Amino acid sequence: MKKILGTAFLIAFVIAILVMSVKGNKGYPNSSELVSLSWTDDGPLELSPERGRFALTYSLVENNSVFFDIDLARFATPDLGYYKGNYVSLFAPGVSIITLPGYYLGSYFNLSQVGVYLSIALFGLLNVIIIRTLSARLGASSNAGWLAGFTFLFATPAFVYSGSLFQHQISTFLILLSSFIVLYSKKLWQLLFVWFLIGIAFVVDYPNLIMMFPVSLFAVIKLIDVWSKDSKTYVKFKVLGITTLFGALIPLLFLLWFNNESYGNPLTLSGVVTRVQEITPQGEPVDRNVIVTSVDDTTPANKSATGFFRTRNTLNGLYIHFFSPDRGILFYTPVILLGILGVPSLTKRNKNASILLISILTLNITLYSLWGDPWGGWAFGSRYLVPSYAVLSIFLAIALSNFRKNLIFIILFIVLYIYSVGVNTLGVLTSSRNPPFVEIANLELLSGKKEKYSYDRNLEFLEANKTKSFFYNTYLNRLISAQEYYLYIYLSIVIVTGTLLTGLLLEKNK
Amino acid sequence: MLEITLSVKNKYIDKSKEFLDKYILLILIGALTAISIVYFVTYLNNGLGLAYNDARSHLDIGRRVVEGLKPGLAQLGSVWLPLPHLLMVPTIWNDYFWHSGLSGALQSMISFVATAIIIHFFLKEMGVSIFGRLVGVMVFVANLNILYLQSIAMTELLLIATMTAGVYELYLWHKNGQILNIIKSSFWIMMASLIRYEGWFLMLYAGVLIIIEVFKRKGFKSAEGTAVFYATLAAFGVFLWFLWNLLIFKDPLYFILGPFSAKAQQDQLEAAGVLITKSNLLLSIKIYLYALFYNSYTIPAILALFGAILYWTDKKIKPGLKIAITALFAPLMFNILALYLGHSVLFIQGISGTSWFNVRYGIMMMPSISIFIGYLVSRIKDFRWVIVGILLFITYFAFSNYDAVTIDDARVGSSQKNVSEVSGYLAQNSANEKGFILVSAASHDAIIFSSGLPMKRFIHEGTGAYWESATTSPDSWARWIIMRTNDDNDLVWRSVSRVPAFDNYILVASYPFADIYEIKQELIGQLHTEPVLGKQK
Repeated sequence: MKKILGTAFLIAFVIAILVMSVKGNKGYPNSSELVSLSWTDDGPLELSPERGRFALTYSLVENNSVFFDIDLARFATPDLGYYKGNYVSLFAPGVSIITLPGYYLGSYFNLSQVGVYLSIALFGLLNVIIIRTLSARLGASSNAGWLAGFTFLFATPAFVYSGSLFQHQISTFLILLSSFIVLYSKKLWQLLFVWFLIGIAFVVDYPNLIMMFPVSLFAVIKLIDVWSKDSKTYVKFKVLGITTLFGALIPLLFLLWFNNESYGNPLTLSGVVTRVQEITPQGEPVDRNVIVTSVDDTTPANKSATGFFRTRNTLNGLYIHFFSPDRGILFYTPVILLGILGVPSLTKRNKNASILLISILTLNITLYSLWGDPWGGWAFGSRYLVPSYAVLSIFLAIALSNFRKNLIFIILFIVLYIYSVGVNTLGVLTSSRNPPFVEIANLELLSGKKEKYSYDRNLEFLEANKTKSFFYNTYLNRLISAQEYYLYIYLSIVIVTGTLLTGLLLEKNK
Repeated sequence: MLEITLSVKNKYIDKSKEFLDKYILLILIGALTAISIVYFVTYLNNGLGLAYNDARSHLDIGRRVVEGLKPGLAQLGSVWLPLPHLLMVPTIWNDYFWHSGLSGALQSMISFVATAIIIHFFLKEMGVSIFGRLVGVMVFVANLNILYLQSIAMTELLLIATMTAGVYELYLWHKNGQILNIIKSSFWIMMASLIRYEGWFLMLYAGVLIIIEVFKRKGFKSAEGTAVFYATLAAFGVFLWFLWNLLIFKDPLYFILGPFSAKAQQDQLEAAGVLITKSNLLLSIKIYLYALFYNSYTIPAILALFGAILYWTDKKIKPGLKIAITALFAPLMFNILALYLGHSVLFIQGISGTSWFNVRYGIMMMPSISIFIGYLVSRIKDFRWVIVGILLFITYFAFSNYDAVTIDDARVGSSQKNVSEVSGYLAQNSANEKGFILVSAASHDAIIFSSGLPMKRFIHEGTGAYWESATTSPDSWARWIIMRTNDDNDLVWRSVSRVPAFDNYILVASYPFADIYEIKQELIGQLHTEPVLGKQK
């Protein structure tokens, strides 16, 4: 009973924090209202990937169409597709579809955008639960599992992407869930479900096809048994297992249908249609022939599937993801690096799990180091590495269990955790619109002032008593300042985490 | 449930393992040779095989030894060390071997196969399983920069092969203590010292390693003796090179201080303010590491570093071997040092300006990277498929994007020189006409090569009396003169523009790299059109 109550409290706490931090405005805006600054730059739909995905959700619900009306098209620029006289989405449709129930539900309460954003937050919560559960299965204690989940959600940029409309939390959920199932599945229907998740992951974000590769390989290996007996080696292949691949068919068929509706060809992916950055007052694209690099995560510059992943980007990519002040892990979430200490221990305990998780981690880092825009456009922290944060959290759970009696490790964890939560709470409550350092010179020319590009930009935002939190702006802005709001949320996370850590330290040796 | 079960007797598995162990060398040689030929043909057909300006110059030097107005070994000159050109001699007389670049590429191709095999043996000596050995070979082979450089008449692969062989034998000596390995090592290092100056550095570095090892084992006297023994063969090439310069150019240091030396070029670059790495250690390290990362696709270099760290921290490995294997880092040390001292120049686009130049120097560490990755795969067996997966992933993107920085350097960097206009003019207007062409090979070897004309049609610095006569009385010898007008760095301009007979020439064509002058029609009759000076000393 005590355990159930504790779990319920922790889940309730996570929900409360997510609700209080999600960005949003009250209302049920139509497409002409959405274009206003209060919804875009100054509001929750501040970045074009968010606007592009929200536009599709809106269009499907309000217009029953995959084509955008003129107002919606203006709202979606500069990441807008154009095909045969119609404005279409430039993004994989998965996120927009998955958040449809949130839109419907939110509309009922006059909170259509908040409903959509809370759908993403829900995946943040689910990820915490999976991390905790998987960690426990892999040998971490319950407290360590919760600490790992909290670290993932509150002490990494994943926090920021649970309060805004990006694909990262959903992708991470699909990766974690499919990994969990593939590691512990014994039945073919479970593998069928894994392939279903792989199919959904592709519809959510095309690079997930690569991110899911280790999981799919494990799913195939599960169909093969190899053993030796009586001086013979046997290989058994479950032929029926091939049918599990059909699990991916349903989401893929949906994608084919969507592509056909939107782009006239089932095999045309959204990333490869003509991009329109601007629309004339008459509603025409400024230059239909302009095809430029999309800030969409999947649109290659030369319009080939592989053209934007270049080995020559790797050095810069690794620097941006790990060391740069504008996106680097060292600046945004150093605590997650402690997870590396859990790798040897997990490898000893569960080699398969360790191999799968390391594969996902290295693939994620490698893929987005090859990527031409490792900054992820204007963003907070290294958003492409959200799946890596989740994997490292699982390793962190193992490390916390193993080194809980090691004072240096615990002190290091506390210090880095407090710092990381501080940084990422700042991000989730303010804005994700942090420019990459390479754009700063031009930006300063335009603005005529010194522009910041790390989380000090978010601090500046907060110091101006501004936050994009729906909860604060709707219910609390007259009662407390934005800084006080930040402090309450920050302290509550630290206090609850402290309680979990105390529980961990008081655990008896198994 | 529908299932298929296959079984195989374990003895057949053991036999196939034995077969693989026994014939792996043959399989590798066969596969590597096929890959080598396919890539040579590919780059020959797409025109990239001769894109490097230096490749054409190498081929011309080799050709001049066997054909021209004054053929002979003296044509080897002092600009580059002589071994690559000497190795061309058996084939360069053939026009196809010369103009296809095969004469120079052949040694690169053989070196490519040889290096991969040495990597295999090196890893075997390090105790690496066959899987790790094959991964090491794969890392070396599945690199477009390596595949490109093995297909052309450049010196990198030959140098890589000889240096790796030298280090391999040195490692064996540290392991077994057999004197034969020192002899073999010194032989390969001597060969390397006749290809490029990296070989000289390796010669010194290996010498120091040998002294340290023998001193540890047997004391000073033995160390002294072994060092002399090693140096007798290892430094023999260097000795010959000094002697060569003394005999041919009357100055043993001509290759260092002469007008065509690297130093002379570097002085010009310094005067132009582009030798930015000189006296700047951090920038030298940065520039070379960028070249190394771009050539190796970065992730393999990082994995190799982990492999090296694992090797050095392995308590089971003898300290002597840990020291010996540092010789694999000789190219890294040499290149950084050369950049720092201003003896070398390397441009990385975006760091040292907008162009590439000599970025191929970064490829020199590829065998070392391959060896350490092979070791890494062998050491962390649990994650070996993860490492292989990542390597395949990187390779897939590198190949699908034709990501080869050495090709970029050859196509659009400063290492290329598109002289098709001027050489095309020559081919069109002089191929069926009589008369010599006066040109400075030091400035315009690429034009000589690309014209497709026989070497004996050209009067250049290496043609002795023809050169002296033609530069003082061009109107008796040269029907055409190729030179950069108003550029005193062009030796032809420097001489011919100052003699009255130059008035007898008219400018017939002007191109980015050179202008073409032709003697006035009425004076053609007074020209020598045949090599009348006979055999010269």
